[in-house]
Amino acid sequence: MSEQRFAQICDLVETEPIRDRDIDRGALIGNWINSNPDTNSIARVKVFEADGKLQLQAFAVGPDGFIDWGTTTADVFAAGPASRTGAGVAATFNLRFAEVRLQAMIMKGLLVLAQFHLFKDDSGRTSYFMREYYAKTHELFNQ
Amino acid sequence: MTQADKLLGRWLNTNHETRGIAECTVARDGDSINVSIVGVGEDGPIQWPTVEAMALANLEEEGGQKTGVLLATFELGFMRAETHMRVNKGVFVIVLFATFLDDSGRANYVNREFFYKP
Repeated sequence: MSEQRFAQICDLVETEPIRDRDIDRGALIGNWINSNPDTNSIARVKVFEADGKLQLQAFAVGPDGFIDWGTTTADVFAAGPASRTGAGVAATFNLRFAEVRLQAMIMKGLLVLAQFHLFKDDSGRTSYFMREYYAKTHELFNQ
Repeated sequence: MTQADKLLGRWLNTNHETRGIAECTVARDGDSINVSIVGVGEDGPIQWPTVEAMALANLEEEGGQKTGVLLATFELGFMRAETHMRVNKGVFVIVLFATFLDDSGRANYVNREFFYKP
């Protein structure tokens, strides 16, 4: 029996090797601002490259301004198994009291960000999901 | 009825020409929620291993919908498929982040497909 190479036929493709760095990240890189000015979650997302790796920095809404979650390395995903067009990213922020997993896709020029907030403390808070939309802005994120 | 209960059942791909996921079944097993996926193969359907999903509350969704979300990861040997699933206006949506673990040179990719309850 041959080694399994696919579990859906769309994955049965022959391609020259595509490395992470071969995937065009242009559509993903930039400063993204939440389309909802009244959000009480992640207000801004900065996607950039450092040392060849895609990095993601998130700024959430706090009581006295934005809370900088810091930077984490993100995995880049193409539009298909033979594609070199970046279409999504995934990253995890460990905030001690919670782990926040992010899965983002580019759709119609927007960054659609699925957020999975998993509480790790004993606060009894329920883990939850949010999905928000971000537009690319030329605004610089100093904070 | 919990938020996650609205996700239970057998869901078929709205695209009958799909080359991806043909159908998905979400079932409750005690306190657990299990997810089964059938992929489209060359010579017939391919049954993926059933996995237990993590159910999350859906805090906000368009139009105030609250149907819950499932997180499920399928370890297929050559590929890891990290998925999340939710219902939006009656349509079951699977977003799949595929990471190839073999040396085939295929690009890791993201895909989204839509499903209805027959």
